[in-house]
Amino acid sequence: MALTRRQFLTLMGGSAGAAVLFQACGLPEKELLIDSPAAMPEDLVSGIDNWYATASQQGGVSEGIVVRVMEGRAKKVEGNPDYPLNLGGHSALSEASLQGLYHPDRISAPLVRTGPRGSGEYREISWEDAVARLSTQLSDLKNSNEGNKAVFVSNPVGGHAGLVLDRFVGATGARHMAYEAVENNVLRNALKEVFGTDSIPEFDIDNSDFILSFGADFLSSWVSPTRYARGYGEFRQGHEHRGKLIHVDSRFSMTAANADQWIHVNPGTEGLLAMSIMQVLSATHSDPIYEQLDSDGILDTYSPANVADVVGVSPDVITKIAEDFSHSEHPIALGGGSAGAHTNGTQNLKAIYSLNRVVSNLGKKGGVLLNPEPPIDGVSAAKATSTFSEFHRLSEEMKAGNVSVLMVRDADIYYGMTDTADMKSALDSVPLIVSFGGMMDDTTSIADLILPQHHFLEDWGTDVPVAGPGYEMVGFQQPVVRPFFEHRGGNLGTKGFADILMTTAQVMGEDLGLSADTFKEVIRNDARKLYELNRGQVVSGSFEGFWNGVLQRGGWWDTGSKVTKEPAIKRLDGVDRAEFGGSNQEFYLQPFISTLGDGVGASLPWLQAMPDAISTATWQTWVEINHKVAEEKGISEGDVLEIRPSNGRVIRALAMPNPAVPPDIIGIPIGQGHRDGGRYSAGRGSNVLSVLDPQVDSDTGSLAWAATRANITMTGEWIRVPKFENTVPEFPRDEHHHIIEITSGDGH
Amino acid sequence: MVTADSNKWGMVVDVDRCTGCQGCVVACQSENNIPINLEEHFNQRRAIQWIRIERYWEGEYPDVKARFIPVMCQHCGNAPCEPVCPVYATYHNNEGMNVQVYNRCIGTRFCANGCPYHVRFFNFWEPEWPESLKNQLNPDVTVRSRGIMEKCSFCVQRIQRSTRESERDNEVLEDGDRGLNPACVNACATNALTFGNFNDPDSKVSKMKEEAMKEGGRGYRLMENLGTDTNVVYLKKVDESVEVTHGH
Repeated sequence: MALTRRQFLTLMGGSAGAAVLFQACGLPEKELLIDSPAAMPEDLVSGIDNWYATASQQGGVSEGIVVRVMEGRAKKVEGNPDYPLNLGGHSALSEASLQGLYHPDRISAPLVRTGPRGSGEYREISWEDAVARLSTQLSDLKNSNEGNKAVFVSNPVGGHAGLVLDRFVGATGARHMAYEAVENNVLRNALKEVFGTDSIPEFDIDNSDFILSFGADFLSSWVSPTRYARGYGEFRQGHEHRGKLIHVDSRFSMTAANADQWIHVNPGTEGLLAMSIMQVLSATHSDPIYEQLDSDGILDTYSPANVADVVGVSPDVITKIAEDFSHSEHPIALGGGSAGAHTNGTQNLKAIYSLNRVVSNLGKKGGVLLNPEPPIDGVSAAKATSTFSEFHRLSEEMKAGNVSVLMVRDADIYYGMTDTADMKSALDSVPLIVSFGGMMDDTTSIADLILPQHHFLEDWGTDVPVAGPGYEMVGFQQPVVRPFFEHRGGNLGTKGFADILMTTAQVMGEDLGLSADTFKEVIRNDARKLYELNRGQVVSGSFEGFWNGVLQRGGWWDTGSKVTKEPAIKRLDGVDRAEFGGSNQEFYLQPFISTLGDGVGASLPWLQAMPDAISTATWQTWVEINHKVAEEKGISEGDVLEIRPSNGRVIRALAMPNPAVPPDIIGIPIGQGHRDGGRYSAGRGSNVLSVLDPQVDSDTGSLAWAATRANITMTGEWIRVPKFENTVPEFPRDEHHHIIEITSGDGH
Repeated sequence: MVTADSNKWGMVVDVDRCTGCQGCVVACQSENNIPINLEEHFNQRRAIQWIRIERYWEGEYPDVKARFIPVMCQHCGNAPCEPVCPVYATYHNNEGMNVQVYNRCIGTRFCANGCPYHVRFFNFWEPEWPESLKNQLNPDVTVRSRGIMEKCSFCVQRIQRSTRESERDNEVLEDGDRGLNPACVNACATNALTFGNFNDPDSKVSKMKEEAMKEGGRGYRLMENLGTDTNVVYLKKVDESVEVTHGH
C-alpha cells in the first residue's frame, strides 16, 4: 500500500507508543492536481514520489526503513520514524541497500555451472529446470534415507522466512546450520546464563545515566548500532544530566573514541575486570550471587589488588569505576565484541552482565529490559547460529563424503571461515553446491546451481528482531519495487527465497503445513493472528484495514507487552585466563568490524568509500599500529606489511599508524579480500578472518577471533592508503579559535 | 535578500551527540547523486563529500581522544565564495542559503579558493555510474558534469518540493517536517543535526540557538572570527575531564 510523502509524514505524527487507528487509503484526489511549472526551480523535475515502509535485516541488524519510489524505481532509503528500534535514524548499510538492488553484477536468472568450479562459467536455465534439478537430488537422498546428507547453511533467519526454512529442512530431512562470520553465540549463551533469555535484551541507553561497556563497539557495529546510537544521543543531551560512558576495550574503537573514558585492558581480561568490580561492590551490595561466589571461596581472589597487573588497570581506577557504577541512578553494563571473542569469552560476558544483577537494573527504566516471547507461535527471532567448531566438523564431514548436497543462502562460508578449518578444500568434496545468492559471493561463485533470490526490497518477509525493543513486535517487509529482472520473464529473473523453497517442496510432493501457496499468503494468514489479538499500535475494524495499517506503518508492536518476571539465578564460575594462538608473536591481532560488516557490505561502493571512523581509510585493508612502535620499526603509512600468525598463514595490509593503538596491538578491519562478489569487491584487500588461529571459546566452541597473536614483516612495497584524511586542508588551530570547542559542562 | 518574513534556513549541530558514524555522509551521497568516490579519487584527494566527518586527535596512548565533527557548507550570510564568482553561479538566495547554479558555472574554482571551510568540490571527471545503478539517481537533483563546482545545498530540492506541496494543499509546513529536512538530518541516529527556519522564533533551531548563545551556553560557529555569519550553529562537545573550556 503506497503512501505519498505528505500522507506518510502526516501519519508520522504519533509517537511509537501511541495507538492510532488506521484505515486503508487510496490515492487522494489532490495528488492528481497538476502544478504550475512557473514556480519550479531549475533543479526540480516534477514527479510523484511514494514512500513505502519495509524492514531491513541485512547483516542481522533489524531496522525499519521507508523507501522513496518514483516511477517504479527505489531512490532513497530513510529510517521509519515509528519503527521501535531506530525511530527514524538509519544506518549506512540500509542506505546502501539501494546499490545492492541496482548492483550491476546481480544474477538475473537461474544458472548452472558449465566450466570448472570457480571459473565463473555458467549457463542460464529456466526456473522449472533449476527447481527440478534441486528437488530431484533432495528426493533421491530422502528416498534412500540419506536426507541428512543434504545440509542447508543459511544466514541467521528469523520471522516467516525462518519458519518456511525450518519447515523445508524438516520436510526434506536436510540438516540446517545457520552461519555468521562474526558469531553472536558467545553473547547469546552468556545472556541465557545470566538472564535466562534466548533473545538479546533491550538496553535502555536513552534513560541510562552511566554505561559501562566492555569490548562492545555498540555505536558502530555491535548488535543494533542505529538503535543504540539513537539512545546515545538522548543519553548525552536528552536529559538534564549528561550520561557518562566508560568503555573498556583492548583496542581504541569508535565507541572508545566517544567514551568519556577509555580503559585499556589487556586482551581477554575484560571479565577479570568485571569480577573485580563485583568484588568491590560486594562490600555495599547484596545479591544471591555473592553468597554463591563466597561459598565457592573465589570472590576475594578478584580484588582490585589481585587482578590489577593482569588486567593492566590500577586498583584505584577499578575501585573508582565500581563506585561510579554503583552510585549512578540508572547504570547499565554491557559487553561483547572482542570481550567475548576469547577462549574465556562466555566467562567474560557472564561476569560483565552479572554486574547488572548486582545493581538491580533489570526491568527498570534506564536498565536492562528483557524481551517477551514473539506474539505469533512458531515465528521467532533468528536462533543462535551453529558454532565455529560445528562448521569445522562440517568441513571434516564434507571431506569424508558425508555431504552430498550443500545449499547456501547469504552464508559465505568459503570467505568467512579461517583457513585452518580447511573449508575451501572441503567444499571441493561436495558433489552438489546449490546457492540462493542474488549476487556472486565467494561461496556462490563455486556453486553448481544458482537459484537467485530477490533483493529484500523486492520480497516479502517479517522481522522478529533478536534484539527486540523490550516489547512484542513484528516488523513487516514488503516489496517496495517490482523485481528488477521481471523483464526477463516468469521463467527467468529472480524469485523470493521463501517462495523458491515452497515451490521446491511442492515439486517434491512435500507438504510444508503452511496452508498457503505463496509466501505472501503465509504472512497474511499470520497477520490475521495479530489482528485477532486486537491490541498493539495498529487496530482496525476490519482485517483489510489492519493489513494495510501494518504495511503502512512497517509493522505491528504493542508497547504494553513487557516482561515482568525475574530470571532465576544461574551459577557464576569465575573467569579463567584467556589463551592465545602462538606465544612468541609480538602483537595481539585484533580484527574489527569497520564499514563493511563481516564482509556483507563489500560489494557496495558507498560502503567501500565510507571512511573508517578512526583511520578515515577506505577501499583497502589496512593495519592499525601504534605510531611510536611504527616509528621505531621504520614503518610509515602505506608500507605494505605481512601479518604472520603462528599458524603459518600470511596476509598483506597497508600500515596505518595512529596515536591511539596500544603498543602491543595491531588492528585489522574485517570485510575485504573477496575472491568474488562483484566489481567493487573482487580481489580487493585482504581477508583477516582467513588467517586467524582456530582458538575457540571453551563454553560454546565459537571462534575466539581476538585470540590470535602475530608478527609483522615489511615487504619493502608501498601503496598509498586511500583515505579521507587530508582530502581537505585541516582547519587552522590556534589558542583562540577552535574547530571543535569543548566545555567541561559546568555552564549548564 | 532575506527579509524578516521570509524563511532563513539553518542548522544546529550538536557535537556532543555526534559519534562520527558517517551515516549522514552516505545519506547525502544517495540523495544528491554524488559520484561514486573510487579508490583513485581518494588517492588524488579529490573525493567529494558535501558533508564530511572530520576526526581530530588529542594526546596519545594511553591518554588519547579522537574528536569528531560534521562539516558541511555553512551557508554564510557573508559568503566569501559569492563575490568572487565571475558568472554569478554562486549567489545568495532570499531564504538565507548559498546556492550554486550548475549551468552557469564555468569552473574557475575561485569560490573553492575563497571558502575557508573547504566545503566546495570540483568535478575533475565526468561522473560515471554503471547503467543499472543509474536507476537509483534522484530525479530531483541534477547530475553535475565535468568541470563545474558543487557543494551542500541544504537539500534545496526537498525544501522546494515540501514548500510547493504544502502551498498546493493549503497546509502549513511544520517545523521538523521530515520531507523538508536535508537527508543528513533524517539519517542521523543520534539527532546531532537539527534543521529549520531561524526566522521563525518558535522553530526548534531558533530555540536551540537562543539557548546555546546565552552566557555559558554551548553555542559557537566555525571560524567565527572571519565574520562569515554562518547559518550553521555548533554546540560544543562536553568533556568533564577537561577543566577549562577549550578546543582544537
